[in-house]
Amino acid sequence: MEYKNVLTTCPYCGCGCNFYLQVLDGKLIGILPCKSHPVSQGKLCIKGLNAGDFVTSKDRLTKPLIKRNGKFTDISWDEALFLVAKKLKEYKESYGPDSIAVLSSAKCTNEENYLMMKFARAVLGTNNVDHCARLCHASTVVGLVQSFGSGAMTNSIRELEDADCILVIGSNTPEQHPLIARYILRAKEKGAKIIVADPRSITLVQFADYHLRHRPGTDVALFNGMMNVILNEGLEDKEFIKERTEGIEELKEVVKKYTPEYVEQITGVPKDILVDAARTYAKAERASIIYSMGITQHTTGVDNVRSSANLAMLTGNLGKPSTGVNPLRGQVNVQGACDMGALPNVYSGYQNVVDEKAREKFGNAWKVKLPEKPGLTIIEMMNEAAKGNIKAMYIMGENPMVSDPDISHVKEGLEKLEFLVVQDIFLTETAQLADVVLPGACYAEKEGTFTSTERLVQMVRKAIEPPGESKADWEIICSLAKAMGSKEFEYVSPAEIMDEIASFTLSYGGMSYDRLQKGGLAWPCPSKEHPGTPYLHKEKFSRANGKGKFFGIEFKEPAELPDEEYPFILSTGRIIFHFHTGTMTRRTELLNKEVPTGYVEIAHIDAARLGIGAGEFVSVQTRRGQIKTKALITERVPEGMIFIPFHFAECAANVLTNPAFDPVAKIPEYKVCAARIEKVKVS
Amino acid sequence: MIENIRDLARKWLESKEVDAIFGLKEQDGGVAPYLFTGRVNGISELGKLTTSTQYRRLCYTCRPSKDNILSLMQRREPNMKIGIVARGCEERALVELAKRGQIDLEKIKIMGIACSQEEAKECKCERPYPNNLVIGERVEGVSGDENINALLSKSLPERLAFWRHELSKCIKCYGCRDACPMCFCKDCKMEQKIFTETGSLPPEIPMFLFIRFYHISERCIGCGECEKACPVDIPLLTIFRQLRRDMKDLFDYEAGIAVEQESPLLTTLDESPMRKEVTSGV
Amino acid sequence: MAEFEPKILAFCCNWCSYAGADLAGVSRLQYPPNIRIIRVMCSGRVEPEFVVKALSLRADGVLILGCHIGDCHYIYGNHRTKKRMAILERILGYLGIDPARVRLEWVSASEGARFAEVVRQFTEEIKKLGPNPLKEVRA
Repeated sequence: MEYKNVLTTCPYCGCGCNFYLQVLDGKLIGILPCKSHPVSQGKLCIKGLNAGDFVTSKDRLTKPLIKRNGKFTDISWDEALFLVAKKLKEYKESYGPDSIAVLSSAKCTNEENYLMMKFARAVLGTNNVDHCARLCHASTVVGLVQSFGSGAMTNSIRELEDADCILVIGSNTPEQHPLIARYILRAKEKGAKIIVADPRSITLVQFADYHLRHRPGTDVALFNGMMNVILNEGLEDKEFIKERTEGIEELKEVVKKYTPEYVEQITGVPKDILVDAARTYAKAERASIIYSMGITQHTTGVDNVRSSANLAMLTGNLGKPSTGVNPLRGQVNVQGACDMGALPNVYSGYQNVVDEKAREKFGNAWKVKLPEKPGLTIIEMMNEAAKGNIKAMYIMGENPMVSDPDISHVKEGLEKLEFLVVQDIFLTETAQLADVVLPGACYAEKEGTFTSTERLVQMVRKAIEPPGESKADWEIICSLAKAMGSKEFEYVSPAEIMDEIASFTLSYGGMSYDRLQKGGLAWPCPSKEHPGTPYLHKEKFSRANGKGKFFGIEFKEPAELPDEEYPFILSTGRIIFHFHTGTMTRRTELLNKEVPTGYVEIAHIDAARLGIGAGEFVSVQTRRGQIKTKALITERVPEGMIFIPFHFAECAANVLTNPAFDPVAKIPEYKVCAARIEKVKVS
Repeated sequence: MIENIRDLARKWLESKEVDAIFGLKEQDGGVAPYLFTGRVNGISELGKLTTSTQYRRLCYTCRPSKDNILSLMQRREPNMKIGIVARGCEERALVELAKRGQIDLEKIKIMGIACSQEEAKECKCERPYPNNLVIGERVEGVSGDENINALLSKSLPERLAFWRHELSKCIKCYGCRDACPMCFCKDCKMEQKIFTETGSLPPEIPMFLFIRFYHISERCIGCGECEKACPVDIPLLTIFRQLRRDMKDLFDYEAGIAVEQESPLLTTLDESPMRKEVTSGV
Repeated sequence: MAEFEPKILAFCCNWCSYAGADLAGVSRLQYPPNIRIIRVMCSGRVEPEFVVKALSLRADGVLILGCHIGDCHYIYGNHRTKKRMAILERILGYLGIDPARVRLEWVSASEGARFAEVVRQFTEEIKKLGPNPLKEVRA
């Protein structure tokens, strides 16, 4: 009998918790929290504690599938790879490389994302590679790079515990990042002031000193209002501004008119509360900002992000422990997938594809001439697919049929494709539209690394064998690249891939499996001796001149506002019991028991006015489509707003959402659109 | 002390007194439970056998099957004799598991180890030693608990306010239940909609955690794993430790001391056993 | 302000207490109208969770009535009840809920007058204790 525990990283959110997979004679029998892990400390949320359930689900894909006459049948790996390689080559030759698009995955390891972007660029010859970071934190990557020079969480999770003030904006931390919320609560116990800015009355509000309940989409005005107060009362950090930043005049000019009175008109936040919150934040010795998709998923996503950076710089809350601007990333490896360059405009380490030097460096190493033109983003891919310009698509571990805005349009695009390959662990809504489905291995069945939201690179270890004929994603990519004639994919193990990543990527330069086996390393970690970097921008910012940059940003309304026809503001998001498109969590018994299907949150006053009773079916409509779901009457949402969790394909919130996107980051506006809700008549 | 444990483990394995040793193994910069069978590829693994202040107990309930790891092992190989490196709380867990028909204690050989005074203090442990003490010196238990004193000195409304605050933090991870060796019910009441509304946070106050307080009250071995598993630091052990005192006070009973000692919830008011056919389930 | 009229839930065992309640009714004995009765086969059927759920659902007090010790139709059912309720009382106290809101009494089928008296006394006591503080928690 063999019983062992294999340490690995939780496959859900970006907290990066570790746990042990308990294995008895090759079978996964449970999850054991890891007490020595710096963030999770032997604690997990409900998803982590049940992360073993879906692994052994009978729905797992075990064989490659091909669609013939509308039905899937099994084929062998050899046939499948031969066919996919042949088809992709055909499209590359007849329509050019840019007729193909690739979606990489924030659920896959760094090594796999690196290989996927290498495959797209070096084998297919296109920069059309993107992944779901586009849909969650594209605005962070763009915005924080503009402000600081680096698009990641500036500080580390555990530092939060020692903050004196924490501003949580657009993040339902206890539900989305439970183990980060732990440190907010601990800070509170130690006397920190908590400011929650959220239109919804999330559970954290109970522990908050201030709740700024602003109208959805008015974040810039709220930030400007706080900065107006700070500047008027002389609470800014003058020395920090002088020594470390530029552009303060531009900021001052713009925020002048955002008086608390004016901001109250825009946001609905009473001016006294705004003033008090601004003072509390500014006067704190160490103040930390936490944000998430509540501010990124807007047409003004980049503006919102840069505004949070403005506020932190104005008060000198950067480059010190327990401060900073901390975007919480929602997928286990979304940070890593971005770092690895699974984006249309950059290689690993954010080296730009338009930069000739970078192109040459990678081109020489991979022995090919690389494409110069930045590729398409997810939303653009779907648009081009619908227009017939993208002919073939390769999707690894993503489910745009549930996760992307305006699903009807996504479906139109994917159906229009001549050839769709999906590589996944389950037959997802997206995989069902595929011509070929390749079975991947899940986190418990392969080796690699994930990079958590705090830039911590950690090991994923193989505990059990993948089911049936399924294979690790990195092996599949290598086999396919070889089938297409490439000689640059001869890896024996993920450790070798990491060595290649380290050699091309400065921030990962000092990383290797030998070091990572002993514990995680936070990038930048440029050399073998470097201990990693818990917080960024200590002496200077990562921008070229070393200074942080202020931007004067005017408030803009969301793309679609409520009107007579569609009088409600619809917002979407996650809940603690499920994850993303539900592919994994809805196959987990306990999670399904907690929340078996979707619902729409509506305020008592609205429900009463519309004659909607608790648990009754309602129809929610927007200009994109309509869904039928159950009403949950609650005080969590304010009057005039409704909220729908997006995990549930049968009542998919994203049938309704607006694909209008931020002009720079191309992130869609999931958080605000106009909707109508009515009771479904019982016939 | 660790050398003594390794030596004894080696002796037990070599003399075939046991077929395997269940203990903690040094791995990946930390420690985790492991079943040492002696040699892997001809090399002794016992050099990695260790103890830790982090993992004081080993026999967890596996989920989603809800079987104790030892019971899974025993079911797989009923004749295997397993030696287990056990602190006091571990031994108490084994006794309670055996009492409730989860494991066969005949096939388990306990290598009892004593906790140090410091370790006992950290856990506020009243019995930091097993009955079968084999290695280490027995130290006295800790009798006071300032958390209990603080709770008991509060008025009823103050207590309610205290728990209302603490329980509001709960994110319904079920981590306390999952960490508890005594929580092995196939059909857990905490999951049942009829008692606690599903899908909402915080879970119904005080219902959700009350279920555990009551169900574990007379079987709690006082290991404190539940409290250590709580991501929001709810002081669960304060109530459980007090309940362990109550069991002595009400029924002169202490969980985990002897297999023969019947749970007070399974005996009549004069503490004689109920008829066998009516004693299944509590 | 109107006098506080508590809501009280009573679990009565089928064989003794429910019959006792019935007798009280048939004998036209007066008792306060604050109680709602749930008939259970045995007081041993009353799980402590039922009691907490009742309090959680805004009952101000909970009565559990069973056969006298020795008279249980199921022999030891009421032994279990008594032991469980002793633990329940302690836990309620630690959580800040007055254990006096829960009372276990034995009422036989012939004790209609005793039933009325128990209900009267308990109602008086709950009136003194005031509204259940959990109401506020759940609001």
